[in-house]
Amino acid sequence: MAGALAGLKVVEIGELVSAPYAAKLMADMGAEVIKVERPGAGDAARRRGPFPAGRPDPEKSGLFLYLNANKYGVTLDIAQPEGFELLEALAAGADVLIHNIWPPDMDRVGLSFERLARRNSRLVMTSIAPFGLRGPHRNWRAEELTVWASGGVCVLNGAGPNHPELPPLKTYGHPAGFQAAAHAAVAAMGAVFARLRGGRGQHVEVSAQECLVSQNEMVFEYWPYMGVIATRLGRKPLQPMETMRCKDGWIYICCVEEHQWRNFVALMGNPEWANEEIFADRLKRGENWEALEIFLREWVAQQSVLDLYRRAQERRVPFAPVSTMGDLLNSEHIRERGFFVEIAHPLAGTYKYPGAPLKYGATPWQIRMPAPTLGQHNEEIFGQRLGLASERLEQLKARGVI
Amino acid sequence: MATAPLSGIRIADFTWVWAGPYCTLQLAHLGADVIRIETATRPCVTRMLPPWPDGKPAGLNSSGYYNQYNQGKRSVALNFAKPGALDVARRLVAVSDVVVNNFAHGVMDRLGLGYEQLREIKSDIIMISLSGYGDTGPYRDYVAYGPAQVPLCGLSALTGYIGGPPMHAGYSYADPNGGVHGAFAILTALYHRELTGEGQYIDMSQWECAMAVLPEGIMEYTMNGREPQRIGNRDPWMAPHGIFRCRDRSVKVFGVTIDQFVAIAASDDAAWRRLAAAIGRPELGDDPKFATLAARKANEDELESIVEAWTLEQSAPAAAHILQQAGIAAFVVADNKYLSEEDEHLKVRDYFVNLPHPVVGTRQHCGIPWQMSATPLAVRAPAPLLGQHTDEVLTAVLGLSASEIATLRASGALE
Repeated sequence: MAGALAGLKVVEIGELVSAPYAAKLMADMGAEVIKVERPGAGDAARRRGPFPAGRPDPEKSGLFLYLNANKYGVTLDIAQPEGFELLEALAAGADVLIHNIWPPDMDRVGLSFERLARRNSRLVMTSIAPFGLRGPHRNWRAEELTVWASGGVCVLNGAGPNHPELPPLKTYGHPAGFQAAAHAAVAAMGAVFARLRGGRGQHVEVSAQECLVSQNEMVFEYWPYMGVIATRLGRKPLQPMETMRCKDGWIYICCVEEHQWRNFVALMGNPEWANEEIFADRLKRGENWEALEIFLREWVAQQSVLDLYRRAQERRVPFAPVSTMGDLLNSEHIRERGFFVEIAHPLAGTYKYPGAPLKYGATPWQIRMPAPTLGQHNEEIFGQRLGLASERLEQLKARGVI
Repeated sequence: MATAPLSGIRIADFTWVWAGPYCTLQLAHLGADVIRIETATRPCVTRMLPPWPDGKPAGLNSSGYYNQYNQGKRSVALNFAKPGALDVARRLVAVSDVVVNNFAHGVMDRLGLGYEQLREIKSDIIMISLSGYGDTGPYRDYVAYGPAQVPLCGLSALTGYIGGPPMHAGYSYADPNGGVHGAFAILTALYHRELTGEGQYIDMSQWECAMAVLPEGIMEYTMNGREPQRIGNRDPWMAPHGIFRCRDRSVKVFGVTIDQFVAIAASDDAAWRRLAAAIGRPELGDDPKFATLAARKANEDELESIVEAWTLEQSAPAAAHILQQAGIAAFVVADNKYLSEEDEHLKVRDYFVNLPHPVVGTRQHCGIPWQMSATPLAVRAPAPLLGQHTDEVLTAVLGLSASEIATLRASGALE
């Protein structure tokens, strides 16, 4: 069976996470993705870890290998006129071009939808930028941390009202990049679908900041509705909803509904303190959290994580373990669903990777090939696909175009 | 003007809380006719959560939470305990392209709205189930709550201050992440159906979607058998890389002064030299203690105190502005008031939506995070009142007569 996007042709000019993950979502559903990297350095993700044994190697970055499986890889310096021409040729044969080139660099190389559309009016060009392509912050520099900070979500995380001296805390990894990517994939597919129904190609512009502001849960609305600023220092109105230490790890204690709390109390063997008036309902438990916390932490500290998780869930109480990476890889549930997949790469070796985020009944998610080595498919794409003679390829290589 | 990309596509939306409504919001943004099937007997949780207009709950149509994530959708209110309601839902599916739900495993089957049942009504229907644990596996019946998905997926174990316990993400990150992945899946399935005529069922687990966006930690373990250490706001490849306290802003909320921070990331050695100059310490740019990434990582505590000594004298917007002028990645750690009123960039981009709502009036809401050159998009309507479109949908979409609707209402099937 083929993937849902079999036959769709995508060109990606991606660095780090956002454009690469958007293109990966499409590649894993069967689209053909040609990834364009800078000659020499390649995608910056090649220089981020994790690396086997912690030794940096551009062909062995776990982040790069994950994000770029199922893609053809070519190198191209689009700042050189010959390089840009080749990009135009690639885009002429594509349905989608997706990139996260920083807007001032787009200006510098002359990348625009109008220019690419001259040769392919059906192209859906998707530009992901930290702050979009227009507005006073268009040319602001950005890294994952600063984009995350700009989105209104970072300010919510931290040690809470008892530790105001600790700053807001970044969420691990590249959440800004991944969220921009997934939203961009949605927008790009919307434009592709419109084209199937008679529409033409077009330019889709995605602001990573706006993607994050869009997912501020209910907290953004606290300002326009109530004039309340939401920060990490707010007290939780309902309790318990906290991470607590067990004998052998950490667990997330979560009782939102009253019946969940009653079931948890029963699970604990109905201790006397649980009947105190100050813990009578979820709002009171929130108000008197400092007192409740002492009892709960003491009890939870004597439990083991997976046992308490199972016993709570048997009573429909939505606890969850604070999963370590090892827990994820060893979870019986995740294993039975077959989430992790092994991918063999000629230079990096064989490792397990995160697999299908979605299970399709008719059009399976598939890994067809490992991530490309730098410029691995130059000959196949530029030579066989675009018809460049091998002498010409040698010249371009000598001039650093590919 | 060209029509919106999903114009003519109808979504029967059986979702509630956040992940599901976030999924169908993306489709509404793209122009689909999203019809939420709701019930007053068990209303969407977000209809009963704050924020409320001016802090005062004013019924099921007044929550800022619901009103944010249901913009541009329609609402039909049915009571499935009453005769006729299920039939209305099934007739709606028969004229829909996609069915979305995020109920616990098995609920749709018990209602008579499982995939196999719906396929008999509409052979090419696309159905997606957005659940915490997925449709298969030993924990498929486990109860999943948004906040608990963050620790479950591995994110908490990796997030935290140096030497401190596992922390949260600050919000139910796995919900919108699952929702937006679900929207992507629906679009790919619509693409496939358009080309082949084939519909399908899609099983989405929020847990797995969250692991799909966590490869850095997972690959460290699969490559090296190691659990990554919690490193606060630092980064292995950049320094300084942190969130620095600024001069307090003069806003007081409930007597507490709101503190203010700026996020700064020096991308490389050259950025550090520019940063040193911008904070009035140009001599530190080439100081052997700080000149290279390795040196800055080795002296990171001292490095951070030097930067913070400067940021403490600035307001956060001024600090960000000065550093950006010097070519350094920096941004205010934005809160909702900053985004709503002070971010000049978002204002210029017309990102926010201000549509009059019959109960809460005109309140600012977050808009569409992408724009298209040929099919301009806009939020079409504020979130629906509960059951606002019941008659409209039953008449115009299902073709029911006034007397049929009256009969259903009399039986209690319509709320």
